[in-house]
Amino acid sequence: MCKLKFYSVVILFAAVVAPAQSSPNEQLPTGPAKEKAAAACLTCHEARIIVQQRLSEAAWEKEMDKMIKWGAEVDAKDRDALIEYFSTNFTPDQPAYEAPRTARDAKSKTKSRL
Amino acid sequence: MRSRRDFLKTVSVAAFSASAAHPLLSWADAAPIFIPGKDGMIVRSFRFVDLEMPVEFMTEWITPVRHFYVRNHMFEPDKIDTINWKLTINGEVEKPLTLSLADLEKFPNRSVTNTLECAGNGRSLHTPKIPGIQWGKGAVGNARFSGPSLKSVLERAGVKDSGKHVQFRGLDPVPGKVPPFVRSIPIEKAADGDTLIATHMNGAPLTAHHGFPARAITPGWVGAASCKWLTEITVLDKPADGNFMMPGYRFPNTPGKPGEPVKPEDTHSLTALTVKSVIAAPADSAKLKPGAQVIQGVAWAGEAEITKVEISTDGGGSWSAAQLGKDQAKYAWHLWSYNWQPTKSGEYVIFSRASDSRGRTQPAAAVWNPSGYLYNAYDQVKVYVQA
Repeated sequence: MCKLKFYSVVILFAAVVAPAQSSPNEQLPTGPAKEKAAAACLTCHEARIIVQQRLSEAAWEKEMDKMIKWGAEVDAKDRDALIEYFSTNFTPDQPAYEAPRTARDAKSKTKSRL
Repeated sequence: MRSRRDFLKTVSVAAFSASAAHPLLSWADAAPIFIPGKDGMIVRSFRFVDLEMPVEFMTEWITPVRHFYVRNHMFEPDKIDTINWKLTINGEVEKPLTLSLADLEKFPNRSVTNTLECAGNGRSLHTPKIPGIQWGKGAVGNARFSGPSLKSVLERAGVKDSGKHVQFRGLDPVPGKVPPFVRSIPIEKAADGDTLIATHMNGAPLTAHHGFPARAITPGWVGAASCKWLTEITVLDKPADGNFMMPGYRFPNTPGKPGEPVKPEDTHSLTALTVKSVIAAPADSAKLKPGAQVIQGVAWAGEAEITKVEISTDGGGSWSAAQLGKDQAKYAWHLWSYNWQPTKSGEYVIFSRASDSRGRTQPAAAVWNPSGYLYNAYDQVKVYVQA
């Protein structure tokens, strides 16, 4: 009986939470530098700005140095590992990232042009 | 104003709620992202917010705000108090001004229907690939912007002879050591009577995503010239300094080899948009029945006029003129349509290309440049006709 109550509460919670909002945040891929990449980049950015890139190692190096100049906190000893993490996971030959969409507004067809 | 820490806290709570629900709801990840006021937009980035209009919405002359693209370089300012919001006009002027929203409303109202396009629209279509928001075709929209002309406000302040450029600064909070998003336009453009301090978009006050309570609208120019959440206008004797003037938003003086670096001294600051068309329908990879089909889309040319749009349904072998829509305005895009009657089953590559009053025609290949700006190659879709 108690279990039934527990599951009812869980299902109710799920029903309330799920339709309202899926996670808007993209995830970084697993890898040895994932946590350091998250600490350096995700203070300002959401991971989607990273996972949509398809760049050479040289281009990743340039981006990394630009972001460090702009305030990304990267320990000097981690720089190369982070460049390797990005340039291994997001290469020019990969298929394009499939971006999600925002929810459709059910009333949009009847709304004015506002 | 809400701090960055508060913002991150809100996002973290939302992310935690979603991830906590995840084990129970494996389908939830496929659910769309809810952004109030936006409808079916492609999410290029959730933070900072960068939203693209899918091409299938490019069938209306006026783009509804819910479908209008959003390009943010930084965090959006938190709720702006319109009672205390002020716009200052300073620099090379006789009489510096501080204007409230009510003061702005006392200036003569001017409306301009303008196609606004992000300079980086189409970046993902360049080869080799270029870092930045990987825009497809929809970082563009056409809206009716209203508010006082910048000219009328500058006249009130009295621009000195030394005033040659006008710099905009917005209220968007700057993270870390990122340089502020500050850019300038030449005085001739600023005071042409069409450049606005816009407070309204499609007849309603600007929304937060689009620069509430006031933004610059520099018609026909790249979106970066139309600073949002305006707080300061400074008249300068030279172009503004800073990252978003140099090396940002610059284009090679002469096309180079794709992938090759370009020296800063061989570039110029981006100004007006170029000539371009996009196919809204049929969709890429669509399966069609033989018989009457309508190919439709939009075409724009910045400060120039679209003179024709041509369609090829045989991969560029032959071209026919599309019909231009009746709605017209100086800086606005044209709708266009072409009646097509495929008779045979098979695969078809459809191209569109626009031409303008300055003699420019959309090229087969865009000029590759290190930041991926102004992509304007023929648009194309591949469709399959099956009986």
